[in-house]
Amino acid sequence: MRGHLLRLFHLFRQAAGWKLGLGLATAGITALAGAALLGLSGWFITATGIAGLSAGTALVFDVFRPGAGVRALALLRTGARYGERLATHDATLSVIAGLRVRLFQALARPGLGRTLVQRPGRLLFRISGDLDTLDTLYLRLLIPACVLVVLALVSMVALALLTGWAGLLPGLFLLLVGLVMLMLGGRGGLVAGGKRAAALEALRLRLLDLVAGRVEWRLAGRQEQAAHLALSAEERLRRADDRLNRLESGLTLWQGLAATALLSGGVILCAELVERGLFGGPAVALFLLVLLGMMEPLGPLRRGAVELGRSLRAVRRVGDALSQPLPEQALSPDTRDVALSAIRFRHDGAPAPLFDGFDLSIPAGQHVAVIGDSGAGKSSLVALLTGEARPDTGSITVPPWALLGQDAALFQDSVRANLLLADPDADDVRLWAVLEQAGLERVVREMSGGLDAPLGEGGTGLSSGQRRRLALARFLLQDKPLWLLDEVTEGIDLSVAATILTNIKVSAAGRTILLITHLRREAALADRIIRLSHGRVVMDLTRGDPAFDQALSTLRPD
Amino acid sequence: MIVPGPDRQLRLAAMVQAVAALLWVPQALLLADAITWLTGSYTLPGHAVTLAVIFGVLGVMRSVLDAWGGRLAFRGARAELSRLRTQAVAALAQRAPLDPSLPPSGTVASLLAEQAEAVVPYLQRYVPLRWRLVLVPAVILPAVAWHSWAAALILLIAAPLIPLFMALIGIRAKKASEDQLAAVGSMNGLLMDRLRGLSTIRALKAEGRVAARIGTLAADVKRRTMAVLRIAFLSSAVLELFSALGVALVAVYVGFNLLGQIEFGTWGGKLDLPAGLFILLLAPAFFEPLRELSAVWHDRASGEAALRAMVGLLEGQETAPGPVLIPADGSVLRLDRVGFGYPGAAALVSDVDLSLRRGEKVALFGPSGGGKSTLLALAAGLLQPGSGTVRRAGKVGWIGHRPFMKNASLVANVTLGRPGLDAAPLLRRLLPGHDPARRVGEGGVGLSGGETLRLALARAIADPDAALILADEPTAHLDAATAAEAIEALIDAAQGRALLVATHDPRLAARMDRVVEVGA
Repeated sequence: MRGHLLRLFHLFRQAAGWKLGLGLATAGITALAGAALLGLSGWFITATGIAGLSAGTALVFDVFRPGAGVRALALLRTGARYGERLATHDATLSVIAGLRVRLFQALARPGLGRTLVQRPGRLLFRISGDLDTLDTLYLRLLIPACVLVVLALVSMVALALLTGWAGLLPGLFLLLVGLVMLMLGGRGGLVAGGKRAAALEALRLRLLDLVAGRVEWRLAGRQEQAAHLALSAEERLRRADDRLNRLESGLTLWQGLAATALLSGGVILCAELVERGLFGGPAVALFLLVLLGMMEPLGPLRRGAVELGRSLRAVRRVGDALSQPLPEQALSPDTRDVALSAIRFRHDGAPAPLFDGFDLSIPAGQHVAVIGDSGAGKSSLVALLTGEARPDTGSITVPPWALLGQDAALFQDSVRANLLLADPDADDVRLWAVLEQAGLERVVREMSGGLDAPLGEGGTGLSSGQRRRLALARFLLQDKPLWLLDEVTEGIDLSVAATILTNIKVSAAGRTILLITHLRREAALADRIIRLSHGRVVMDLTRGDPAFDQALSTLRPD
Repeated sequence: MIVPGPDRQLRLAAMVQAVAALLWVPQALLLADAITWLTGSYTLPGHAVTLAVIFGVLGVMRSVLDAWGGRLAFRGARAELSRLRTQAVAALAQRAPLDPSLPPSGTVASLLAEQAEAVVPYLQRYVPLRWRLVLVPAVILPAVAWHSWAAALILLIAAPLIPLFMALIGIRAKKASEDQLAAVGSMNGLLMDRLRGLSTIRALKAEGRVAARIGTLAADVKRRTMAVLRIAFLSSAVLELFSALGVALVAVYVGFNLLGQIEFGTWGGKLDLPAGLFILLLAPAFFEPLRELSAVWHDRASGEAALRAMVGLLEGQETAPGPVLIPADGSVLRLDRVGFGYPGAAALVSDVDLSLRRGEKVALFGPSGGGKSTLLALAAGLLQPGSGTVRRAGKVGWIGHRPFMKNASLVANVTLGRPGLDAAPLLRRLLPGHDPARRVGEGGVGLSGGETLRLALARAIADPDAALILADEPTAHLDAATAAEAIEALIDAAQGRALLVATHDPRLAARMDRVVEVGA
């Protein structure tokens, strides 16, 4: 935990730097100016009230300096508050940006792929929730806590100068109140917050099920039950919310009682000091009104304390992710042939290995179609070649490769940025050329902004056929000796499929191609067909073999 | 604007919190007196201690009321959220299953789960605050004016522009908070968008470039957000300035009056010290509700947006499922001159006659968009025919175009929670070698096309009362060998029932008893 906190703090400092300190400084000045404003005003009024009792003292009383001080403090407080809000928000936004970059780097490693594929909704939901919590760590927790400490320390010094050792008491009391608040909030909030997060996640998933499966639920006569399931998650969430609110209300009560005790105690303390003749005059008003101003940071601290538990969990989870070593870049060996030898590979959690003593070699320039049932090992073969999966034993040599899959993702960015992912150095001429090759040039020219036209999340704004064409254009930008094609025309219109296959054919000469398919039109590109079954090569035919056409004909026609 | 009727609990909460806020008036009176007894040449510390004790009692009352009011407000607000969610879920369950106006399931889920949460702070904080906004100044101003009309006038002039500032802050802060929310939302969106396509990024070996790009885009979002915030904070700084200056001016005025340098502003004579301190202690409290308002302003914007979106979800096509007519001729399904079209669109199917008996296998054959799926939906009772009648006997086993899969075990996916069904034998038959407890990934991830179909098939025939099996393009995503096996499984499973498939796969159609051309 401490390691995580230090790591995050380091990350915060990297992202926001001196802005963090500026935010803290301005927040401190704001609180100090507020307390000073109250104290000085109280002193001023009391002093004038005493001086005004006799005409003689009233005339010699210097009203201008304290009056000006009051006005100056009012202005200082306003300015500092404005500066505080700007500085803290600027710092927070910097932290938000930095955290996302760093987290992406941490998550962009092969091991995560599987979780992300299996339960993307859940994982992304958690990450996003954790980030939201961490975003406010600085603003909600760090700032109020630091302001409280600064205010307590400054008041201790100032009040001790006024009254001696007794002046230390209010500051110490304030520190104690803040500490107890954080402890109560942190402990209670961790449990209740955990329940709340689990219930919210359950509610979300059950709502997803309710809507996505509404036909199935209705026809199975279970829609009432599906709705009931969602509502029971809501009830759990309500109870967790209620528990958190009880905690917050408890802290509100604690804050109110502490404030009352501070002021009442302050009056009694002053009475005692006055009684003993150690203290007196207008300074008493200053002392008591400063106490009034000292309670200001308690409100924000209370709100932060309730979230402390949640923040700590987020720190732990994100910290775990961040502490993973950054993935190493695999070096491409200096070879043009593809070779897998004596591969043993087992999926996580699978009872038996999928590949055991698997060998395959593809000489440079050969075009190979891999067919076979689902679960035969086709996708795992590609995963092994790309390094997404690691074999338990065996060796793999792969030349530099480019992969085009049926689920090639597009991103919320410009058309250009989507293309440049494949080759950051490509110029516009090159981009237009590949777009034309993919049959998308006219579409992009007609979009407002052309290459700079923005795409939405996952490439929305383009039709599904256009998205596949753009993915193809991006693929074509990569000039690599090995092409890995994973069901590239699955589930798309004939015309788009034809564009993609024609383009592959045109540029295929001189490259090695490994394509995974169960479509006849795709396999027809190959001059060698391999059938996999349960992790073994059960058929290996080259063009010219009479069985080759036979194998082709078992595949699905258009 | 949609505001739910002010619930009794919320109103009570608002009153309790207002009383708590107003208890400061007697507390200020006591504190001012106590300070007076402790200062000057003639002091009575004993009196001050007594006053401090009464002050403490009032303070305890105030704290208790404040915490209790907060609880009440929360409970009222949370109950309202529960009510809205319950209504929305009921409406979703009643919603026509094929209503094209229903947003995607992901959107609905995040609206009802996360976005809806904004309703609570809005109702809990903003709504009761409206009471304090009126009540607190309405009590404090006369209390100040009782001693000095001039001090009250200063407060009144500092607050003069309150409606104006409210509008100013309203426009600016609303925009700012919306932009800020959108910005933080889009920063999350940026990351999520990239994480969803992580395998593509890794395949392109573009991890470093994408990380840099996220940095650039996030920095851009930050720059734009700060530009808006600078203005938004300025307007609340103006509020802060006026309240601080109001307090400062009151303090200076009171000071000068006490010295006798300013004679006017009181109801005859000078202020005395307790009155002066009392006024000073009340001045910040006068502005307190306004400052709270600017703090909770964005609760309002997001709360109202969430309310609007939830109410929007309640509006939509509802279907009371029509009465189930039973065929008189012993057939399982009978369509007579059935026609259907969505409102404002051309008819999708018209004048269809069709009859299926137990044991019969029929293909609806034709190109996509020809109305095959619509006919299946009509046969299942998911759509009500625009004309003609649909009669059906027994329950329906449904195999959708993209079967719904729960993130749960294979068994749970077969039974869908229907009581008394034994999924194990079915799974042994249809998915041999699979662990029945194996968990299916979100949205069916991890299952191949053939496995998905077999699982949907098991689900469709799990209920022995399902006399009619409806399958929409069952072989569309399968290779030839898998498709051939799946067809056999389908025919085998449908024995003793009626089977109606919509397909454009000639090999599937060829295995049926009859082929009905649709939309050719």
